[in-house]
Amino acid sequence: MNSENMSQRLDAVFHPRSIAVVGASNTPNTYGYLFMDYLIKAGYRGVLYPVKPGSEEIMGFKAYPSLKDIPGDVDYVISCIGARYVPEMISQCPERNVKCIHLFTARMSETGDKKGHALEQEIASEAARLGIPLIGPNCMGLYHPEEGISFAYDLPKKPGKVGGIFQSGGIAVNFARYAGVRGVAFSKVISYGNAAGVNECDLLEYLAWDKETSIIAIYIEGVRDGRRFFKTLREVSAIKPVIVLKGGRTGAGTRSSFSHTASIAGSLNAWEVMFKQCNAVQAADMDELVDLTVAFNSLPAITGKRVGVIGGSGGKVVLSADECEQSGLDVVSMPGDVMDTIREKAPELVNWLGNPVDFSILGGTSLNPMDFMQIMAGSIGFDFLICNVTEENPFDHTVWAQLITMEVNEYLRVLSGGMMPLVATIANPGLGLGNTGEWHWKNLLERREEMQSKGIAVFDSVRKAATALSKLVNYYENRKSIGHGGSK
Amino acid sequence: MKESILERLKVKGQSILAEVEAKEVLQEAGVPVNPTVMARSREEAVSVSIKLGFPAVLKIISSDVLHKTEAGGVRLNLTGPEEVGEAYDAIMAAALDKYPRALIEGVSVQRMIKGGTEVIIGMARDPQFGPMLMFGLGGILVEVLRDVAFRIIPLTKKDARDMLSEIKGYPLLKGFRGTAPVDEDALAEALLKLSGFIDQHPEIEELDINPLFASEGGVLAADARMVLNWD
Repeated sequence: MNSENMSQRLDAVFHPRSIAVVGASNTPNTYGYLFMDYLIKAGYRGVLYPVKPGSEEIMGFKAYPSLKDIPGDVDYVISCIGARYVPEMISQCPERNVKCIHLFTARMSETGDKKGHALEQEIASEAARLGIPLIGPNCMGLYHPEEGISFAYDLPKKPGKVGGIFQSGGIAVNFARYAGVRGVAFSKVISYGNAAGVNECDLLEYLAWDKETSIIAIYIEGVRDGRRFFKTLREVSAIKPVIVLKGGRTGAGTRSSFSHTASIAGSLNAWEVMFKQCNAVQAADMDELVDLTVAFNSLPAITGKRVGVIGGSGGKVVLSADECEQSGLDVVSMPGDVMDTIREKAPELVNWLGNPVDFSILGGTSLNPMDFMQIMAGSIGFDFLICNVTEENPFDHTVWAQLITMEVNEYLRVLSGGMMPLVATIANPGLGLGNTGEWHWKNLLERREEMQSKGIAVFDSVRKAATALSKLVNYYENRKSIGHGGSK
Repeated sequence: MKESILERLKVKGQSILAEVEAKEVLQEAGVPVNPTVMARSREEAVSVSIKLGFPAVLKIISSDVLHKTEAGGVRLNLTGPEEVGEAYDAIMAAALDKYPRALIEGVSVQRMIKGGTEVIIGMARDPQFGPMLMFGLGGILVEVLRDVAFRIIPLTKKDARDMLSEIKGYPLLKGFRGTAPVDEDALAEALLKLSGFIDQHPEIEELDINPLFASEGGVLAADARMVLNWD
């Protein structure tokens, strides 16, 4: 099947009009219950068929003893039954015109056991013979907020533009939750497990093709076909940013070799080479995967690294400059157009005020910090701004809150002015429940949510913001140079 | 059309290619090579060197001698026919002294390349992602510091460019302390030619071009070896 056809078919199966949960259960916290409940709570709008022999009704829905007893077509099957029952279940799928089978069912090839492997092969080839795309086994399947399909409780219901492909179900759920908290919304996230049928390349091609998805996040440990993955990833990255977290250290092959090249290659991490060559955006860990998703989700295609850093005072300003430089950003000296304004309005600051901007030294001058921020946002000498909320001001909570609010409002003004891309940083030193009611933290959390909800990417620290921004700019710069240099 | 050298080697089932044959393959791939001829006797070595020009370089050809320099099997900067003749005898004596049972096929003769920066271009197969090209600066920089860049075949033009600028020793290619910058276009072109050729020849298992001389005027392969897999 060519990739265009596969993508169209996957798109059809991800918009199912009916879903059967095979192995559904009334017993709370069994998976047969949970997959039903996820769909109910996520607001699935299609028809839901629980399948379980001997049950009249499950969770308020009429239950059926088997797929073949269901009176209408079933578009999508979620299997929560034991591995040995799966072949029989699959044999009933054609009768119900099933278009996709998701096997939450596990204990197959991942066990390393020969029998499990053989069963998985048998199931996969039978599904292939019947022409039914198979997702899994050993995976959480689909989270598709627009359709009210979910693989966990309380994930964002609002659809968005981030798509995800996850080899691990747990990582998929965490990703959707963590990035969701940061204001990211999703087109569809797919946990694909053992990839006996639909694999990472099929899904990557599909999300590249999918109009609802403009950013792709991936977690992989291994791939079935390295050559195909390389070629697919390279093509997709030229169209949409692909953020990749690779799990599992790759044992370098220490094969005996005749040539220098082969002996050096033997100790090489070929994944690193492959990601770099494809212009995939590599995340070092889960935190970075989320940070990068947040950055790509809210920022335009920035292709320069000249950063203006605003906010904070004293040592925090010095550290923020170090962290930006270490992350590969260019903390340029204050551009000429900004200096002209300083010379005109506050000549006493000409030799003192630099980038990053220490807000505390603007106090008492004729240069209002808030106006100054607009001047920076209007400069042609910066590519973007990192706005570092000045929480260390010394005033009592009333004045403190006023200043913070003014600062954040100014950030929002820059955003709505559209003059320059910006991100914000607000510290989160590991807040506990007891802290969230304290005026300091409560206010910062409110400001964070306010900015996030209006579309500003917010990070926990300048280092995290700078790391994400640096990788984002690299991606867009490389993509641009590929466009100009001719890719073939 | 001339028969491809790889076709010829396939008939023989030959898998290890020493300098002269490896260079023939490179030439077919479109990589400029320093003309090199095999000589099986002292007389042949002398007459070939007169034809190719001086100063000459002689290198031993023997599948029993893997490390040619250590076995005294490489003689550089031979300025005339007498020196070439003496070098031939010296190489044979040194090799037999170190490897008394070695089967020696002869020597390779070529004109010595003057000037330029020594680089290495190589190829190996990754079990997951397939054929990859390697680029680095020759000598100690590759052997000790492993200052190299890899890319998976097929390469784009940008990949080839990126491989050059990615290594730490890149400033040496740009011209350092008065040396002329090397022809980066020719280096990138060599990488792209190899990429295309290897993509068409799955039997190529390993390759070292070491060294390849890069200079202002272009690139020239001075030595090469190759492993083929006919399975």
